[in-house]
Amino acid sequence: MGSLEEPTSATKSLECAKKVRPLVKEMYARAHEAKKQGRPVAYCMVMSQYDEILRAMDVTPIWTENYGGLCATKRDADRFLAKADAEGYSMFLCSYATTGIGFDALRRELEEIPADAPDGGMAEPDMLLGSSAMCDPRYKWYQALGRYKDTPIYNIDVVIPPVDAELGEIRDYYIKYQVEEIKGLVAFLEKATKKKMDWERLNEIIDLSEETNRLWRECHQLRKAIPCPMPAEDHFRTFVPGRFWLGTQEARDFYREMRDELKYRVENKIGVVPQEKYRLLWGGGLPPWHTMKLFNYFGALGAVFVRETAYIPYESVDIPPLVTHPLERLAYRAFGHFTYRYEGSRKGCGNPHVQLILDWLDEYKADGVVMHQVMTCRATTIGQTHHRQLIQKYVKLPVMFLESDIVDVRTYSEEQTRRQIDTFLELVDSYKTANGC
Amino acid sequence: MASRLAGVKELYENRIRRAEDLRLSGSKIIGYLCCFPPIELMTAIDLVPCRITGDIKEQVTRGDAYLETLMCPYIRSCFDLAVKGKYDFLDGLVVPHSCDSVQRIYDIWKYYAKPAYSHFIDVPHMTHTASIEFFKRELERFKQSLERYAQKEISPENLVQAIHLHNENRALLRELYRFRRHNPPLLSGVEATQILIAGMTLPAREYHELLKSIIPEVAARKELPGEEKPRILIYGSEIDDTGFIELIEQCGADIVMDDLCTGTRQFWHDVELGDDPLEALACHYLMKIPCPRTYKPRTGTHAEDLENRFGYLKEYATEFKVEGVILYIIRFCDTHGFDVPDVKDYFEAMGLPILYLEEDYAITAPERLRTQVRTFIDLIG
Repeated sequence: MGSLEEPTSATKSLECAKKVRPLVKEMYARAHEAKKQGRPVAYCMVMSQYDEILRAMDVTPIWTENYGGLCATKRDADRFLAKADAEGYSMFLCSYATTGIGFDALRRELEEIPADAPDGGMAEPDMLLGSSAMCDPRYKWYQALGRYKDTPIYNIDVVIPPVDAELGEIRDYYIKYQVEEIKGLVAFLEKATKKKMDWERLNEIIDLSEETNRLWRECHQLRKAIPCPMPAEDHFRTFVPGRFWLGTQEARDFYREMRDELKYRVENKIGVVPQEKYRLLWGGGLPPWHTMKLFNYFGALGAVFVRETAYIPYESVDIPPLVTHPLERLAYRAFGHFTYRYEGSRKGCGNPHVQLILDWLDEYKADGVVMHQVMTCRATTIGQTHHRQLIQKYVKLPVMFLESDIVDVRTYSEEQTRRQIDTFLELVDSYKTANGC
Repeated sequence: MASRLAGVKELYENRIRRAEDLRLSGSKIIGYLCCFPPIELMTAIDLVPCRITGDIKEQVTRGDAYLETLMCPYIRSCFDLAVKGKYDFLDGLVVPHSCDSVQRIYDIWKYYAKPAYSHFIDVPHMTHTASIEFFKRELERFKQSLERYAQKEISPENLVQAIHLHNENRALLRELYRFRRHNPPLLSGVEATQILIAGMTLPAREYHELLKSIIPEVAARKELPGEEKPRILIYGSEIDDTGFIELIEQCGADIVMDDLCTGTRQFWHDVELGDDPLEALACHYLMKIPCPRTYKPRTGTHAEDLENRFGYLKEYATEFKVEGVILYIIRFCDTHGFDVPDVKDYFEAMGLPILYLEEDYAITAPERLRTQVRTFIDLIG
């Protein structure tokens, strides 16, 4: 296990990446400020399709999963995890959730925010907005918080169609359901905030989000350059505006600036490491927030991550011109984002996630894939072993599994992980030689 | 006359062979996971629904090559059996979106076990009015998929008939469970498990006849003397093997009631038929199965919320004169895991002692378990 005295964060390459930490601090500060001024504050889950709704209703979000990651990077999650353990929550449950539950259980016990909580802790929410997007803990977590607070909850379904469904058969009722679910949330918010939704404003915010996502996608396209101008350690920081500030000018401006910085780096062939020997793809799992400096270790050995499958921008999807109501736009975006790879993958390997990896391996000229088997995250870990087999059926490239957690370091060994990385990069090297690169 | 219950034991132990025989005799067998696929639709089109179970006694070996260890060990066991060829007799596979592990196994199962027919049912997690409408559409899609596979239609009459038949089976199971209210219970936990697990692989009509034949035999036990023991309710997800139940009963307790996916959750309520049988199924499977994967909106205070979510457990405990509760949670189960402290709170508020076990769907350390269970029983006794 890494020493607490050593920094756990990765060194950043982009100037833009260095501007993210203040944005994170600002998120928590804004929530405290809103609370002080009596404005509504909500606990939220990423990818729940309601970011723009919150902005339009002037609800200040606290992204509770982010707080788990933040505590991990500060190596200050143990006291929250221990509290959740003591309350009866298994250590194998999502550790974002157990960190958050532990934090709220301690707050309840102490009757104040636990001392020196990272970034001043999470402000007391006025509402809990969960969802079923991507995984089960996202709606179970806030339900569990009922033990510690009587805060009103609204959980919505975010439906992701099965991969083998005929999209034409299901599109209408999936979108209709998504619209109804978001509509239910709007009604809840209107009641909670005593304020009516301004649909025109919501449409404008969605426009802003689309522009943000377009710029963000452009940034990633620039990473195809050799040498790669931006590594994973920067991606796992610069996703913050896209995931936690979506629907704001700040997010749009951030990616515009980042796009310009990346363009400059590409034009001037400024890479991440002095000699880019290996280009890698992050192909599954969320990052080990507790030890992000591991990415620098890859870098020290000449390896750069050129693309990641986690925390990616929304894809540009075709929305029929007649669809203009903002809720329908959001529902179409969700359906499109979750399914845009389905039909293409049927012509390829049959698995949309793996097809994306195969496409990116080619487009980004990557030499290997790293996945993170996250002890407490079923959603991003189940299937990785299958994905590795499928990848290697189509390309002769090595795939590595890192094994740890997003937050919990109790079963993590840094020395062992570094040895694994050494071995993996030797393998990447031998594959490259064998492939004549 | 030979004991029907002894026959059930044999059926339970040889249920796979029985299903294989059915297939050899021309039936089409559709395997399904969890208790969310509406089996009525399969019965209505003369397909035999066969609940896929794991094998607690068999180590996962081949499945390790394809699945991570940090997922539901029960699903890993089911999949391991499939890639070992033990489910080769199945003609098809139906998987519901019940939880993350089950949802994600679908593509992997299809890829490696290659069922001739497969279908995924997207079950909403919410219970809003729109959720029922959405689920009904999903069941319509499932119905059409079965019709394409079987190359015939499910008529409304056949569907209603199938719903009636399964409701009758549910009623018979409830009748059998009522014998467990006696002290000592007339039906042991082991016997109840055998009946339930054997029944999950039988055609509905055959199960119906079996249940009808068992009831008089159990009822006749009223005349037999017996020893009163601590009365246990078991709460959790999947228990598809008598091993663990037997261990508890051998330690000196009676398991008199359950809240399990393989137990009461499947049959405690009937499908309430109205004008639209698909809507009835959607309402039933979404609203009446108290699995923690289905979110019940918060009502009022925390205490009121617990009452809303777990009130049925109080009814079970009262009706079955429960004296202690064993929470048997399969490791890596997020949906049950997040409910554990709330369920414990609820039972404790009723004054019931609790033994919490988080297990790997294996009895790898029976002595440890026995010690834990005995200590718990002593506490109640």
